[in-house]
Amino acid sequence: MMNLGFTIGVLGVLILSHAAYSTIQYRGLLKIVEEEFSGPPMTVVLELLFGLVLCLWAALSVPGKFISIHPDSDDNRIVSLPDNLDFMIFNHRGKVLQPDTGMKLKC
Amino acid sequence: MAVGRDEKKVTDDLEIFSADNLQSNMKIIYYSRTFLSIISGVIAGILGLTGLTGFIFYFLVMAITSVGLMAKANFSVHAYFTSWNQIIVDGFLSGLMSFVLFWTFAYDIVHIF
Repeated sequence: MMNLGFTIGVLGVLILSHAAYSTIQYRGLLKIVEEEFSGPPMTVVLELLFGLVLCLWAALSVPGKFISIHPDSDDNRIVSLPDNLDFMIFNHRGKVLQPDTGMKLKC
Repeated sequence: MAVGRDEKKVTDDLEIFSADNLQSNMKIIYYSRTFLSIISGVIAGILGLTGLTGFIFYFLVMAITSVGLMAKANFSVHAYFTSWNQIIVDGFLSGLMSFVLFWTFAYDIVHIF
């Protein structure tokens, strides 16, 4: 999914640069026929809109998904245990003071 | 007394959220806005917008971006952020700087050189 979004973004940037090149050529043509520039031609405007839509898609999909900030949602489960598990001792006097963390363990 | 303690517990629960995930969400929004302000600057330059029109174009694109980000969050903003401002307002001014930079850059390349 991320790769697809990235490809679409590259395509959008390429389309935008092609639109810029077309506008440069259009300016050259106007210089030859000696007319004033009042805005790029319709095809270039459509091309720019298309490139904008592609880049919008890329910008919304490439940086990644939002993660829920609620502590008891599925995104915030603990999926891996720490490496120093052998050094942890649970059978000590602190276990009578059970902390109420409310974390969920994924089995 | 018991009722008061319960109410306090409810408000405490409302304020608990994962700061790491919030920061990651803010970073995603920041990336999206920066990229789109650069792209909108290039488009405004190619279109040959000058003066106030360019800034209006920028605000238009950023409004579209806000709607897109809200759609990405499935319109349930409070599951991912603490307030609406974070998704609608954040990153406007820093994006404006890159917008102006790329706006003048593209305008110079297309219309002046």
